[in-house]
Amino acid sequence: MYVQYKPKRGLLGTIFQVEILQGMALTLKRLFSKPITRQYPDVKPVIRPGFRGQHALVRDPETGDSKCIGCMRCAMACPSRCIRIRSHKGKEPGAKRKIDCYRIESLRCVYCGYCEEVCPVNAIVLTEVYEYGSYDRPSLYFTREQLLANWDRFVEEKGADMENYVNPFWRPRGLAEADLPAPKRLSVSAEWRGEEQVVGRKWQQQQAAQQD
Amino acid sequence: MSGTISKTIEVPVVDGESERYSLRMGPQHPATHGVLRVDLELDGETIMECNPQVGYLHRGFEKLAESKTYAQALILTDRLDYIAAMSNNIGYCVAVEKLLAVSVPERAQYIRTIVGEMSRLCSHLLWLATHALDIGAMTVFLYCFREREILLDLFEELCGARLTFSYPRIGGVRQDVSRYFVDELQRFLDMFPAKMEEYETLIDTNRIWLKRTVGVGKLSGAEALGLGLTGACLRGSGVDYDIRKHQPYDAYDKVEFEVPLATEGDIYARYRCRMEEMLQSVHIIQQCIDQLPPGPIVGPDAPDLVMPFKAPARVEADAAAFGGGLIKLVRDQKLYISGDVYVATEVPKGELGFYFISDGNNRPYRMHIRSPSFIHIGALKAICKGELIADLIANIGSLDVVLGESDR
Repeated sequence: MYVQYKPKRGLLGTIFQVEILQGMALTLKRLFSKPITRQYPDVKPVIRPGFRGQHALVRDPETGDSKCIGCMRCAMACPSRCIRIRSHKGKEPGAKRKIDCYRIESLRCVYCGYCEEVCPVNAIVLTEVYEYGSYDRPSLYFTREQLLANWDRFVEEKGADMENYVNPFWRPRGLAEADLPAPKRLSVSAEWRGEEQVVGRKWQQQQAAQQD
Repeated sequence: MSGTISKTIEVPVVDGESERYSLRMGPQHPATHGVLRVDLELDGETIMECNPQVGYLHRGFEKLAESKTYAQALILTDRLDYIAAMSNNIGYCVAVEKLLAVSVPERAQYIRTIVGEMSRLCSHLLWLATHALDIGAMTVFLYCFREREILLDLFEELCGARLTFSYPRIGGVRQDVSRYFVDELQRFLDMFPAKMEEYETLIDTNRIWLKRTVGVGKLSGAEALGLGLTGACLRGSGVDYDIRKHQPYDAYDKVEFEVPLATEGDIYARYRCRMEEMLQSVHIIQQCIDQLPPGPIVGPDAPDLVMPFKAPARVEADAAAFGGGLIKLVRDQKLYISGDVYVATEVPKGELGFYFISDGNNRPYRMHIRSPSFIHIGALKAICKGELIADLIANIGSLDVVLGESDR
């Protein structure tokens, strides 16, 4: 398909500068419409759920501690290798793995969300907090305590209904339940579970035609 | 077809002899779209010699990828052409899927086509904005950013990021589309052609725009092919080459679209081609939304995000306890296929090719990126010889280069 290369402009249009007047009219019309610019620090943008922002370790309401089991999957999946975990296992039989150190260098992080997606127990999350700039580096090397505090701050900002909070990367939208380990089978809407998927209009028509 | 261009340079000589002098444009010049340095040899305002210098944004991605697994190296492609990161992601995934023989479900293919075309719209809108700004049309810049913002908000809804998406994964996509996303996208598609008319009202017939673009930076089809140009720069010269059409990947063989062509090969022709491409993108997205089938979004043989070199017994036992699935590992000793592959995809800038050599490891033995911007910058030397220095700006804008991709 060849594009229309030469726009049509008649002699009169050239003399009376019609195209310039048309452009002026368009911009003049915009002058009276509502501005769409957001004055950022005063007006905060609406952040969609699942935004990959500041890191946090989820505080388990039962134990008051992190849910992390020290499986190292996040550290293995991390492309920028910014997660550092040290853990040890207690001597007594049946003892759980204890996390000594969990650190995230948020300055190295690329915010890909692999860590929350591979975590088998939904211990780590990228929260929707995006304003955490700092004048010094140490405050951006998150330790375990800082990460838990980040979660508390996120819960506080988010307000009520954090009981049923599900991050879209904990339970990827549209993945079948059988493909997920048990702790990741969180209760979400049917659309999220992939049972009521958004399908195309034409596809529906084709199916209806086939059934007839 | 020869790649050399012979131009006779006519320098208007005022009062006897002329004096040549050299000028360095960039790397901090705002019109170079990043950190491009152009060493110019000038005679008055005429460019006698033009040597583009790249490398200011070199981050060693090709080497870096050798130390990352295939899943991890995906995030590097976000930072190649950062204004159309989704297209790069898709190109990378298509290549790795071919290398590792991973199948992609149909729904994921359609979703990828949708986001790939959205990414093309984003990129072309930013191109139009900055290109028009370079030539002197400020209003178009603001109008384009207005529409681009809607697309970025949609990307944020889809994958939680506005710039570095990392949205596709090897063997599918990471998130399914939601009802909200599809409805908002439909609203955008209904509204966008009217906005395109606004841009065209502003610049399409504007005499200043025409003076700056028509007949400037001319390339014949043979010259463009010889210089290795791809994308709209090649199609503006009349060569019908679009990988989406000729070697379809994802769902491009299931949708109807046309490849816009122009024969003139100047800046205005490339501008018209890209504008027409945007309308075609809208057309493609509309068809994909209409035909979107249900089904899984990740293939059954897709590798885990933690791509293990081999399956250790302990993790395998854990995976069984967790119920397999996403944490499931391929239980063969030899997990990955060795061999090499070159796969090219059509990104907004042109042909983005990935060449992989795999030695059966979980990370590439070698990854080479054939990036369109790098080759387009190389063509600048041939195009700009003998033109005026003001046209250099228009030419850089028209070639649509992104230095992140060129230097990688």
